Amino acid sequence: MTDVPAAPRSTRAWLLSDRPQSRAQARLGRAYISWLRFASNPLALVGLAILLVLVLVAAFANILAPHSPTAGDLAGAQLLPPLSPGYLLGTDDQGRDILSRLIHGSRLTLTVVLLVAVITAPVGLLVGTVAGYAGGWVDGVLMRITDIFLAFPKLVLALALVAALGPGIENAVIAIAVTSWPPYARMARAETMAVRHSDYIAAVRLMGASPVRVVLRHVMPMCLSSLIVRVTLDMAGIILIAAGLGFLGLGAQPPSPEWGAMIASGRRFILDQWWVATMPGMAILIVSLGFNLVGDGLRDSLDPREAGQ
Amino acid sequence: MIMQRLPFLSALAVGTALSVLMAAGTPAMAKTPADTLVEGFAIDDIISMDPAESFELTAGEVIGNIYSQLVRLDLSDTSKVVGDLAASWTVSDDGLTYTFKLKPGLTFASGNPITAEDFAWSFERMVKLDKSPAFLLNQFGLTGDNVTEKVKALDPSTLTMTVDQPYAPSFVLNVMAASPISAIDKKLVLPHVKAIPVDATNKYDNDFGNGWLKTNFAGSGPFKLREWRANEAVVLERNDRFYGDKAKLLRVVYRHMKESAGQRLALEAGDIDVARNLEPGDLAAVARKEGLNVTSAAKGTVYYISFNQKNPNLAKPEVREALKYLINYDAIGATLIKGIGEIHQTFLPKGQLGALDVNPYKLDVAKAKELLAKAGLTDGFSVTMDVRNTQPVTGIAEAFQQTASQAGIKISILPGDGKQTLTKYRARNHDIYIGQWGSDYWDPNSNAETFTANPNNADDATFKTLAWRNAWDVPDLTAKTKAALLEKDGAKRAAIYQELQQAVLDSSPFALIFQQTEVAGLRGNVNGFKLGPTFDTNFVAPVSKN
Repeated sequence: MTDVPAAPRSTRAWLLSDRPQSRAQARLGRAYISWLRFASNPLALVGLAILLVLVLVAAFANILAPHSPTAGDLAGAQLLPPLSPGYLLGTDDQGRDILSRLIHGSRLTLTVVLLVAVITAPVGLLVGTVAGYAGGWVDGVLMRITDIFLAFPKLVLALALVAALGPGIENAVIAIAVTSWPPYARMARAETMAVRHSDYIAAVRLMGASPVRVVLRHVMPMCLSSLIVRVTLDMAGIILIAAGLGFLGLGAQPPSPEWGAMIASGRRFILDQWWVATMPGMAILIVSLGFNLVGDGLRDSLDPREAGQ
Repeated sequence: MIMQRLPFLSALAVGTALSVLMAAGTPAMAKTPADTLVEGFAIDDIISMDPAESFELTAGEVIGNIYSQLVRLDLSDTSKVVGDLAASWTVSDDGLTYTFKLKPGLTFASGNPITAEDFAWSFERMVKLDKSPAFLLNQFGLTGDNVTEKVKALDPSTLTMTVDQPYAPSFVLNVMAASPISAIDKKLVLPHVKAIPVDATNKYDNDFGNGWLKTNFAGSGPFKLREWRANEAVVLERNDRFYGDKAKLLRVVYRHMKESAGQRLALEAGDIDVARNLEPGDLAAVARKEGLNVTSAAKGTVYYISFNQKNPNLAKPEVREALKYLINYDAIGATLIKGIGEIHQTFLPKGQLGALDVNPYKLDVAKAKELLAKAGLTDGFSVTMDVRNTQPVTGIAEAFQQTASQAGIKISILPGDGKQTLTKYRARNHDIYIGQWGSDYWDPNSNAETFTANPNNADDATFKTLAWRNAWDVPDLTAKTKAALLEKDGAKRAAIYQELQQAVLDSSPFALIFQQTEVAGLRGNVNGFKLGPTFDTNFVAPVSKN
């Protein structure tokens, strides 16, 4: 009777219990510890706040934006400076409110980032773990394909792809996705190589698990945390590539308020009307910064080695 | 896992630098050499340097400087022509035969003598190659089958040309002054002529040197073409064998610079001597700055938006009219083209015979909606628009996109470089196109013919006017255009052109927007730089530097 632990006094204590009663409790406990470690990093929290604001702005763009992002007042409000009445961040060459365009542009940015992450991470993970676990010629073939993609600079390959597919935001996503998965595959393969000869894998195989099961249930989870970190850190790069494509006229097409395209159209006025290009530049800077801070924080909190486990 | 600090830092750096760096885009350079004129110019529309093929504005300017014609416009009175290579000319009594006598002792830049035979061959290859400028000669009844009989060298210094109808001589001579009809060095080109198989598309067994002349030079102008690197630079060098006043400078470089701001920065820094594509804001800044000058000239170039009649929605007359009410002319004139153009809604540029100076259209969304309802398109429709990604056309296209959306017309803009959009336009694969038309020769017929004549609306027509490119089939206007050409009475001729302009205003698929004022920003030490009325009269030979 005395061995039965007392009922947890608080959720916190329940989560931090070093003798979890169930798998769920163990997992939640792990997650909570990670969160505590993440939250102890103030910069990471700043990054998280930036991303939360981005998501909220994107979700409520219609309510938040004071003007239409595409229709402007060419005759009455062309190239007004920031803080003009009614136009907090000024207007562009078509008389459109820059703030409203930034707010609506956040949707495009989020869409691109999420789509790319959703496409590339699973592909990279699958290719990497299969190659690492199977070894032999499968590994050779898959890794050589990866090498081919890695042999080109990302942006150049993306440019070539978009030029072939035609400009547009969907094609930009495809191009970025095609060029972004190889590093994940490399990383997943390295992680897989490290665990494939572990005792627990041998044990699962002895119990008759098929290679598919081993890879899916016992190898992939080991790669996940580093993958998440890597993807988060890469998001800033994805935003920059998307902006770069938009800047070169190969991403979003006018009049959609994609930030890179906004910089591109604003650069004509950079000498006299600096705000037209600067405002979207700041937006890109802040959001990239947010993703990087969160990525840094995640790495510190998720990486098992750094956590001393 | 490796520490990932790098993306963070680069994101910071790139994020801030993106806006600043890319705007300038000009590497630091020394001052331009004293014997070289460097012009910053958007040259991405050049597709060939062969006078018989090239028909783009920028290439026209270069060809005007490196090739010479029989006659050229008298720049002090552009209603007249003066002899260039021709010393004199006579027209037979029936108005059909023109005889040109060449000046003695002329040579090409290669040293070969310029003979009437070179001209006869130049005419022949232009007609037989059948590229865009071929219509200049086709309109005189010269065809691949008869050109060798109709254009003949009687002796080394006498050329005769027989036309099919008694045109007004001034019209014929004005056409002869156009840059595509240049003297080409036959002896120099002949070794480079490539044999090609004769089939359904090729009637002749050789390319008349077209493949070689695309990037090479065989002319006699004040400058020689040293090289043309697409989207990079055109380099001209003085032709010391030129028969007229020699060019004052040794070299002229047209550097490809797309951005107005980049050109302005380079001009201020002295990296270039002339900035050719300044936009309103930058033009004003250059004009204010000490040590820099601005020059301008009204051009025979009009900007228009055209609607392909192959698109069933755009083919409805009410839709065409509605679209003309959906352009915010006033706002565009006051902002996007301020200083570089004037709102002008008729197709003849001011200054040409019969030009009509009325601007009846205004932005009127309610009226446009009414017209769309009449056409059965109350809810509007979706359509694409091909736009060359330079200003001011991009800005105008975006402004048009906005105002059109107010009437429910959804325009998606397809940007491309000059070559891409032009090629598509010439193949009639566009819906809406925004472009400019520069008169090929200083005569109202040039614009009238392209906007109102379309003798054969079939896809394989040889007479590819703007009306053809937009599949606007107008037999009666075509006939009227033709009649104006044979009308020798000046006043009557002007009246016909005015009727044609009214017809284009009322019912054409062309929304004329403005007439260009060409501007250039100059360094203070550049003398003698003068823009001509046409692109092939933007001569650089008289330019000098202190």
